[in-house]
Amino acid sequence: MKKIPDKDILLFKSCLVNVEYPGVESSTKFLFDKLGIEYITSEKQSCCTGLGHYADLFDQFSTSALAARNFGIAREEGHKNLATLCATCYAILKKSANILNKKDDVRNRINKIFEDSNIPDLTYNAEDMDSRDNIFHVAEILFNKAGEIEDLVEIDLSGFRVASHHACHYCKVHHNDTIGNVRDPMVIETLARACGVEIVEWYDRKTSTCGNGFRQRYMNKELSFLVTSEKLISLKENKVDILLHMCPNCQLQFDRNQKVIGESLEVEFNIVCLNISQFLALALGADPYRVVGVQTHTVPVEPVLDKIKQINSCFEV
Amino acid sequence: MKTLKIGENTLQLAKIIINNLKASEDLGILKCIQCGMCTSICPAARHTDYDPRKIVKRALDNDESLILDDIIWNCFYCYTCHSVCPVNNSACEINQIIRQKAIDEGKGKSKVAPFSAYGDSFLEFGLGAIPNNFFDDLVKDYGKEWLELKVSLEDIREELGLGHILLPKKEINDINEILKRSGFKKRLEIIRRGGG
Amino acid sequence: MNNGHFSRYAPKSSIDIGVFLCKCGGNISDTVDIERLSSSIDAKVVKEFENLCSIKCQKNIRDIILEEELDRAVIAACSPITHEKTFRNHVAPLNPYLLEMANIREQCSWVHSDVDKATDKAISLTNAAIERVKYARPLDTIIRKTKKSAAVIGGGISGITTALSLAKQGIKVHIIEKSPTVGGNMIKIGKVFSPEKLAEECALCLFNPLINEAVQHKNINIITNAELKSSIRKTGNFNLLVERKATYVKEDKCTACGNCTEVCPVDVPNEWNEKLMMRKAIYKPFPQSVPDAYTIDKENCIKCGKCVKVCAMNAINLKMKRELIPLDAGSVVIATGHKGFDLKKRPEYGYCRYEDVITQMELARIMGVNGPTNGKLLRPSDGKIPGRVVMIQCAGSRDDKPEGKRYCSKVCCMVALKHASFIRHYYPDTEIIICYTDMRTPGMYENYFRYVQSKEVKLLRGRPGEIFNKGDNLVVRVEDTLNGELTDIETDIVVLSEAMEPSEGTLKVAETLNVGLTEDLFIKEKHPKIRPVTTDVEGIYVCGTAQGPKDITESVSQANAAASKVSEIINGGLEIEPTIAEINHSRCSMCGNCISACKYKAIYMYDEHMSVDPVSCTGCGICISKCEHNAVEIMGQTDAQIHAMIYGMLKDKKDDEQRILAFVDYIGYVASDNMGINRISYPESVRIIRISSINRLMPKHIMFAFENCADGIFLGEYPDDIMYPAIQEKVHEIRSELIKNSIDPDRLMYYKVYAPYFRGLANKLIEFDKQVSKALDKLEAVLYKASSKDL
Repeated sequence: MKKIPDKDILLFKSCLVNVEYPGVESSTKFLFDKLGIEYITSEKQSCCTGLGHYADLFDQFSTSALAARNFGIAREEGHKNLATLCATCYAILKKSANILNKKDDVRNRINKIFEDSNIPDLTYNAEDMDSRDNIFHVAEILFNKAGEIEDLVEIDLSGFRVASHHACHYCKVHHNDTIGNVRDPMVIETLARACGVEIVEWYDRKTSTCGNGFRQRYMNKELSFLVTSEKLISLKENKVDILLHMCPNCQLQFDRNQKVIGESLEVEFNIVCLNISQFLALALGADPYRVVGVQTHTVPVEPVLDKIKQINSCFEV
Repeated sequence: MKTLKIGENTLQLAKIIINNLKASEDLGILKCIQCGMCTSICPAARHTDYDPRKIVKRALDNDESLILDDIIWNCFYCYTCHSVCPVNNSACEINQIIRQKAIDEGKGKSKVAPFSAYGDSFLEFGLGAIPNNFFDDLVKDYGKEWLELKVSLEDIREELGLGHILLPKKEINDINEILKRSGFKKRLEIIRRGGG
Repeated sequence: MNNGHFSRYAPKSSIDIGVFLCKCGGNISDTVDIERLSSSIDAKVVKEFENLCSIKCQKNIRDIILEEELDRAVIAACSPITHEKTFRNHVAPLNPYLLEMANIREQCSWVHSDVDKATDKAISLTNAAIERVKYARPLDTIIRKTKKSAAVIGGGISGITTALSLAKQGIKVHIIEKSPTVGGNMIKIGKVFSPEKLAEECALCLFNPLINEAVQHKNINIITNAELKSSIRKTGNFNLLVERKATYVKEDKCTACGNCTEVCPVDVPNEWNEKLMMRKAIYKPFPQSVPDAYTIDKENCIKCGKCVKVCAMNAINLKMKRELIPLDAGSVVIATGHKGFDLKKRPEYGYCRYEDVITQMELARIMGVNGPTNGKLLRPSDGKIPGRVVMIQCAGSRDDKPEGKRYCSKVCCMVALKHASFIRHYYPDTEIIICYTDMRTPGMYENYFRYVQSKEVKLLRGRPGEIFNKGDNLVVRVEDTLNGELTDIETDIVVLSEAMEPSEGTLKVAETLNVGLTEDLFIKEKHPKIRPVTTDVEGIYVCGTAQGPKDITESVSQANAAASKVSEIINGGLEIEPTIAEINHSRCSMCGNCISACKYKAIYMYDEHMSVDPVSCTGCGICISKCEHNAVEIMGQTDAQIHAMIYGMLKDKKDDEQRILAFVDYIGYVASDNMGINRISYPESVRIIRISSINRLMPKHIMFAFENCADGIFLGEYPDDIMYPAIQEKVHEIRSELIKNSIDPDRLMYYKVYAPYFRGLANKLIEFDKQVSKALDKLEAVLYKASSKDL
């Protein structure tokens, strides 16, 4: 298994987390602080271009150029280990690192662009960033500390049936670097188990995509929703209360579209969608509104919070 | 009925795909034996006529009509085919590469034009965002609360102890310079115009 | 340049050398002026002969050696490859290794036409031999005695077959079997397919007679519940330590009455039946187990003692300890077999999730008459007869993804067809669908394929991506690639044709015996085409599925081949040429560099000394380069001898003459001879020196040559798979040394030699000769310029 760091980390911000589920970022910071993980964020960091890249708008060269810029910033700030909040960022950055390391002509062209743009400090030298050893997903950083998390759990979450949706772009794109079995990673399950919660280890369609499909959600809404329905129906059959995510894209798809999909199928789903960081933060006693950010969710999280309060008298909302 | 004449390079399209910047180093397109595992787990194949195995076959058969075919715009980019293919081929990557050719050579531009606003946002803020031309549709699906979230985002972020989203001016400038020299700015304009 | 003393083993001040020149019936004397050659040589005795190889001459040489009290002999005649062995016997009473030959036929008279130049070359070739022989030391042939016994690890079809063949050749065999019974995988599979019959045969009926023969053969000793713990290798013999588990049952007393098993309170999943049913902690794996005795599974036994009370033979001793058994074996055969791919690694097939997803091996057990359902095909989940069975081929095989096996497991297509045929025969209402990518039924198996197809087995071409359940049934999702339709197949049972991979025992044994593995972790053969069943450790062989996926027919063939190889060394005996590495123990620091450098695994540690296995050692000399204490020498190819030969080759070089030394290995030498045999010319400047391998040379030898006025150095060696990387390193090392000493690297050349491409070699030598001239011209120009600057 690859070596996972707990310091020199640049927490890589995500555009979707920023505007849709900012609680994911604050929950992650909460956890990192509790676990003594050394990290920074940088206001200079740009978006990875993920959504635009997979909408076929951004070409690979431009995406890699911006990745090289972000890598340069990480180096400048002395924090070379990137930890992404979003799976799309994870895959895009790793691919760009591979291209920059292996394709000399691309790297040289990008460095020339940096020179011509008067930002020579960002020059990327081959092997400055290693895809496997320097680029991680936040869930992996936490996975490494599963034992410590277990010791820090304050809130009893055992009353919920929980299932995972492992982001496709985490496990399937760079499958040699995925923790666990590519076909069924169990990273989220391991973390959830540390909270003592009941996990539905398998449900039909577990490894299927969330259905967002980047351009599909907007240009082919019906098709996109057909795929998401498959998952929601299966989750309902398995009586899942909370679906755990590791990517804001998936979280968005399941959370915001749930009502509309439910209406078309004449089914009420009521599956709360939490990012694994949010879930763990709750378990470690974080405030649901001031840290976990549940107020930005579409499927109301309040029922879950109420149930937690019933079991945990100390739980303050 | 087709005739394969001598001298007609039948693996030309496959080789173009292999040499494309987007292709993984060990892309196994030449090793594809059409086992069909990719199609069996493809979400698009379940609900449309899209069939990743057939796409790969057409690429291997040097079928250029693939580039102008609407069918390639069905892929979800979920990479499931990429993660199961026994010979390390990737219908997903091949789709991405063919779509870029479609954009360069013709009707692909109109397919991508609706997302131009993403590019604008990037150039203005250094950040990506869901294109605002989809806004109204989203409000209908997501509900009014979502709109309110947008309005009070700054306050919510402050409550969560998070800083500003926006990048400093100098950084945005740098990003613009990079995207100008990488050819992206020009590309954005071409795509936008091609959208009609 | 120096007085020719090259080692501390300096020859005594006067060595009496006899030089015998052969005219070879004109073959040599037509081109080489033998008289001039004879008068140009400085030795105690120089004699000319018409035909040195004749019996009359043999007597002559002997007489001269005795009369003149000679210490060494040099024969200048044809190639040593032709007659060296013969001549070694001719020089008795001198030790055969006190002879040196100069090749003045194939490498002189047959390739040059200018009499003067040819004679000059013949003189230097003979001088070289004379110088070299001064440093020859008497050596004795090594007679290798191998114990007339073998250890076979693994008691499956391969192990038993090998053991029987060896036993019948009078060799004592110990079969070391890990589980409580012999039989391995073959007895579990119930029915086997055949290359000639269109019917399935009973595996046990084929195998049992062999097992019985093995049990009853006086030369075979079967040890079950045993594993190889350690092995010490000592010239051709293996001191093995076998650990026999504590089974708590005295095998010789147990009558297998079964009373004990009835009272045992502990239930354990029965591995022999693929965990589809339970057994007791005291058990016999299956009714026809051999040895016919019960065993207690130590991990699960609670030592309640109930079995002891009912055992009429007093065969149970709960205090039994494990036994360590030392064995001496001349040879070891690895027959540790295979295991099935762990389908947990492909979670999309739901092997762990759904009871009704099983492997072919599990299906074999279910349909086996001695299995969990007494041979009835019943669904594991509800015990009903299935209406449909879907088989999925290549589960884990032909898969380049993480944890998949990239190879084809060879037998699964036939296994699926065999089971399909069986099911169709006994359950005509049960439908069978096989999802395949390719149906691989090579050779006569194709006939079987047609036969099974005619029994209404449906074939669907497509590799399924997932299995999920719908109510009580399973659904297999696959694309039917022949009509491009995504298809959901509803079914009762799914059978996965699992890949074949090396067993855990195979990996363990490879580590214990230090035997190499392939990339796919099977035991590696020395060369799969021309040296099959041999591993990279001399004396250890492999057969059966431990070497790679194969069916029973092939396993049996391989097992017989392995037995034959073992018999070769045990019965044939070996006389080994002593031109191998020898270690000076007083200098040796036991650092182990030589062990890791040796590509033939010929050096090993025994009894706190470094030892060389004479059979494995090829005298290549890699070890010498890596030894920092000068503790290794190659007998018959010492540094002194190499230096002496170089000195001799370059002695009396005229100023305007060009001399190139060409160091070649055995193949290079044969190619060089071939040039002569085919009368292909090359420059007289080339003098060929035979060495065991370029790896024997070190920069110091090359520099010595240049210091003695060599103009160019040519290195020619066959690019053997094992040695090639080391050769490349060596050439690079030498080249760097030249550059360091300001010698033009153009004066060095490395060429890959192949025995039949001697024309290529000749052309290369011609090219190199020109290249060296050019380099020397350049050097002269530079020196001239430098000296003229001084003026």
